[in-house]
Amino acid sequence: MNKQLFEKSNKLERWTLFVDFIAIVIYISLFLILFKLLELPEVVNGSMDLDILQYMEPIYQFLGSTLDKWQMNTIISLSVVFTIVAVPMFFINLKKVKIRTIYEVDSYVAGSKFFQGIINLLSFNPISAGLRIYNMFILVKFVKGYDAKEFLKSIVPAVKAYFKRLFTKKVKENTEGLDEYSLSIKTSIRRQNAANALRLLFTYIFLVFMALIIIIPFYWMIITSLKDFSGATTATPKFFISISRMNWVNYKVVLTELNFGLYIRNTVIVALFSTAGTILTTVLAAYAFARIEFKGREILFSILIMTMMIPGELYIITNFITVSKNGFGWVGMPTGENNYFLAMILPFVTSISYIFFLRQSFKQVPESLYKAARVDGCSDLKFLMRVMVPIASPTIFTITILNVFGSWNAYIWPRIITGVGGQEGQAYWLISNALRDTAFVLDNGRVMYNLQIAASTLVTVPLLVVFFMFRKYIMNGIGRSGTKG
Amino acid sequence: MELRLENLTKIFTNRTGIETTAVKNLDITIESGTLVGLLGPSGCGKSTTLFMIAGLEKPTSGKIFFGDDDVTKLAPEKRGIGLVFQNYALYPHMTVFNNILFPLENLDVPKDEAIKRVKEMANLVGIGELLDRKPSQLSGGQQQRVAIARALVKKPRVLLLDEPLSNLDARLRLQMREEIKRIQRETGITTIFVTHDQEEAMSISDKMVVLDFGVKQQYASPQSMYTDPGNLFVGKFLGNPPINTFEAEVKKGYLMINDKKFMKIKVPDALYDIGMRPENFRAVAEGFDVDVKDIYHIGRDTMVHFDFNGQNVRALVDSDDISSEDKVVHLSIKESRIYLFDKETGKVVNHG
Amino acid sequence: MANLKNSVIAFFGKILNAIKTFFWNVRRLFTNIKNRFGDFLDKHNINFVTRFPNWAKALLYLSPALIVLMVFTFYPIINSFALVVYQNYNMTTETVTGYTIFGNFITVLTDESFIVPASHTASSAVINTLIIVFISVPISVLLALFIAAALNTIKPLKSFFQTIYFLPYVTNTIAIGLVFAYMFRTDGGLVNQFLGLFGVNVEGLSWVESGAVYWRSMFVLIFYSIWSTLAFKIMVFLTSIQGIDKQYYQAAAIDATPRGRIFSKITVPLISPMIFYILVTSVIGAFKIYNSIVALFGVSGAPAGVDYNLQSIVMYIYQFIDGSNAGNLSVAAAGSLILFAIILVLTLVQMQASKRRVHY
Ligand SMILES: Nc1ncnc2c1ncn2[C@@H]1O[C@H](COP(=O)(O)OP(=O)(O)O)[C@@H](O)[C@H]1O
Ligand SMILES: [Mg+2]
Repeated sequence: MNKQLFEKSNKLERWTLFVDFIAIVIYISLFLILFKLLELPEVVNGSMDLDILQYMEPIYQFLGSTLDKWQMNTIISLSVVFTIVAVPMFFINLKKVKIRTIYEVDSYVAGSKFFQGIINLLSFNPISAGLRIYNMFILVKFVKGYDAKEFLKSIVPAVKAYFKRLFTKKVKENTEGLDEYSLSIKTSIRRQNAANALRLLFTYIFLVFMALIIIIPFYWMIITSLKDFSGATTATPKFFISISRMNWVNYKVVLTELNFGLYIRNTVIVALFSTAGTILTTVLAAYAFARIEFKGREILFSILIMTMMIPGELYIITNFITVSKNGFGWVGMPTGENNYFLAMILPFVTSISYIFFLRQSFKQVPESLYKAARVDGCSDLKFLMRVMVPIASPTIFTITILNVFGSWNAYIWPRIITGVGGQEGQAYWLISNALRDTAFVLDNGRVMYNLQIAASTLVTVPLLVVFFMFRKYIMNGIGRSGTKG
Repeated sequence: MELRLENLTKIFTNRTGIETTAVKNLDITIESGTLVGLLGPSGCGKSTTLFMIAGLEKPTSGKIFFGDDDVTKLAPEKRGIGLVFQNYALYPHMTVFNNILFPLENLDVPKDEAIKRVKEMANLVGIGELLDRKPSQLSGGQQQRVAIARALVKKPRVLLLDEPLSNLDARLRLQMREEIKRIQRETGITTIFVTHDQEEAMSISDKMVVLDFGVKQQYASPQSMYTDPGNLFVGKFLGNPPINTFEAEVKKGYLMINDKKFMKIKVPDALYDIGMRPENFRAVAEGFDVDVKDIYHIGRDTMVHFDFNGQNVRALVDSDDISSEDKVVHLSIKESRIYLFDKETGKVVNHG
Repeated sequence: MANLKNSVIAFFGKILNAIKTFFWNVRRLFTNIKNRFGDFLDKHNINFVTRFPNWAKALLYLSPALIVLMVFTFYPIINSFALVVYQNYNMTTETVTGYTIFGNFITVLTDESFIVPASHTASSAVINTLIIVFISVPISVLLALFIAAALNTIKPLKSFFQTIYFLPYVTNTIAIGLVFAYMFRTDGGLVNQFLGLFGVNVEGLSWVESGAVYWRSMFVLIFYSIWSTLAFKIMVFLTSIQGIDKQYYQAAAIDATPRGRIFSKITVPLISPMIFYILVTSVIGAFKIYNSIVALFGVSGAPAGVDYNLQSIVMYIYQFIDGSNAGNLSVAAAGSLILFAIILVLTLVQMQASKRRVHY
């Protein structure tokens, strides 16, 4: 194996990633700039006439040129799609370049470079595309030993041979002279193959059908979020939407006028702190349960396990009393004296099921590692931080993701907490509350479905982006964990 | 540095109160710079002894001395020991370099010197090229070398190895055995090597301790333990093919075998356990006759099975001295190679 | 040029090295102090290991979690037993008008909207919940099992399908619930449009809006609850099916076992512990259904202008904490204790059943 080639390829990949990163920054800033430019209806008497949104045909000035709605939509749509494709790709590649060793490089890796290059090209990033395809040639040389020229030359015959194999009819087999037994074997093989193919076909049809049921709501959501009011409420909504009809301004209305920017910020704060707290408390507790031998460990642990069966509603009643006026006084106080964030975060800074889950993976770390560390003078805390946590990091990562998703989904507790605060409480809504409780209605009482669905999309897309960034980790983690929240 | 165990005892008590004596009244003095093999069947308390020396287990009673220091109550990290485990216990998420560096992080070693020492150790055990790999990218033998380097990098006063070779395949085991011996010679560290494989212990040790059920059976150099086993257990445990043992009586100063006088012997009349190693028999013209039951040729040597006191006894003799057709073979054995063990205690009884 | 580059790299390398050395030295200083302290203790025969027993160490590690659990988990459990004996508990003034043992339970159990369907309503919280549990759980478990088995037999596109089926797991229940409600709209809903293609008369065919009938609303609710819980089950089943030793299948293939029998006699029994686990957790989950109902029908739990209600047990409980009846927390506590009892019984029954039926 040629180590130099591998290192060259790695170096090149780092540069490519750098270019990718710049491209992402460009996409995002382009999107942000144009998004900022988007024109909202005028505010009259303190409220905005949302009905007029669909009739507006504004003209924009950008970099000295005028853009009509169609051009504007095209650029915004492309920058969004490019960002959504490029960000997960960037993170996955970043991880790969860090952990891939010389032994794991094969022709598949080279092939994937080519496809990524094509994707780069399609997302107007010719530099990355060029670097990637050059990198592919290096890797081909590394794996197969071909030069670029030889490789290109070798493609044509390979493709030809492939098609030749595909199209040459099978020579009719000579069935004469075979005895009955081998003939019967031949027919049964043929029948078997046909049955297999049929079964495979049905399997795929079934899977595609189910996949459609899963995917259609997402598609419908995204399409609807870009429609205008009449497009979303007509009796025959369209299944496709042309670029010129897209209403990116829906998102702007949701973010600014309907305050979803604030709600998203609130949710991020709650998710961040409760997750940090959860990781800290559960790691420490799981370590105690997994490694330290003390009297009553099993009893304490089984008590914890038993409380997992108790429905959360039971806690919520008392916790509501605890955080309100007669308890800690975080909510239900006069305006200005409330601390909604504390009330929303503190009850969720630990979780019994995560302690249980983490303990399982801590227990899998061999005892001898602990002994070795003891001999080296490593204290318990240091052993936990330097050895246990890194080894159990997939589990910790899964917990992090689950907890963040949990905060993103939290509905009832934030609703109860913010519900007692009236107007003040509304400023502390989390997104789920906002989605359900914001009135997306016009003066005439009709629901602005396009805005409502745009808000839903806004809430869903970050989760999907995170998911696509860490797809393998998350799916494996959930499959193994067998526990949800 | 000399290492001394005095009356060391370890009793485990499980939750239901049942006691297991893992090590019982162990007295050993290990001279400075020697490699001592700790040998015994599985579950006899070898690891427990080692962990007590390391400080990972507290002795129930008894004392441990490193030189003149009583270290019985000292914490493991203060004893200056290096420990190597059967499964290597390398940190899977660290590179080889960081694995070896890890013990030094806890010591008062300047960084440059630490790096120098890691590299030195890596070169000593022959893994200088592999410093930036993760343990999962190494073969078993390489992982073992990393584990040894990690144990040695602290410049320990004592090196403890707990069955370090039993996860390796046969060829690698032979190679690593010599390697460990070489490293021990080069560094001159007092070393305890735990194994259940008698051949391994014999080939590597300067001296050996044999344990059974936590009790010391014998402490001697491998060769003297082989030629002069202290008791029946040691005799049986050492040697391949194993020693022949059977009951025989001494009557009126004669050792009786097959109700015939076999030879004169100067021990009291009683029933004894007799031990004769297969390879101590010689096929000669003049000797006692035995009826051959089976003959197997194993290359240079030939294994002869015959009947002695109703027992199937094996003799390993030179192939040149014997032919397959022989029905009767003349064998001889040196008097000093016939071991008599007390029926009660199993202790060897000196004669001649 | 190369010279410049090298010197720049060397410059930053030096800085980096200096920083690293600094940290190393700081750490060295600390270990030094620590060691001196340890030597001091040794000299005066003070042994922290014996002075600082394991339980104290464990307590140190457990305390952050335990304190939070004490306040927000254990205390509420105890306190809810106190709450149920209060009559007319007022949480703002902290006053009660009296004490009762079963009064609050009786209030719940005789409530028209909890268990006894009154004449004017076709349903009650318990009945609604039971319908959801007994329809959605079996269907979703079976469906997830089939999908997982199907996924296990294919190779191309496997991870693509896996990813798609996983999507509902990473969504916000409320957000997608709103989308579902939008898709099931009477006029211009995607579903009605689709049904129209098959010649169904969709004029005024309501699902989640005024004019809907009970079973149609219930269908949407069950459909959504299956849709949103499928992903997790598929993942768990697929992981456990992939964990089955290939030798069983090879042995079965040699014995010419038909596919259906392989599925029912090998795959299902071997992952039966997982199936039972999923059954228990999804029954419990379905009993606690709340977010989906809120997403589809709003906090009232019913489409506007209909004479029935799709309230679940949890929803019934929450109306006492936030909503028009807010304040009567004792009744809520009684309700949640009843829910706990139901879940406990179900768990025990299923555990008992699984002991007898699960093959390993
Ligand atoms: N932590 C422990 N608790 C209870 N018994 C133990 C423990 N460790 C070892 N033992 C017992 O002590 C005896 C000796 O064990 P060990 O030293 O591991 O044997 P070896 O290493 O020679 O195979 C065994 O019978 C074992 O069951
Ligand atoms: Mg052992």
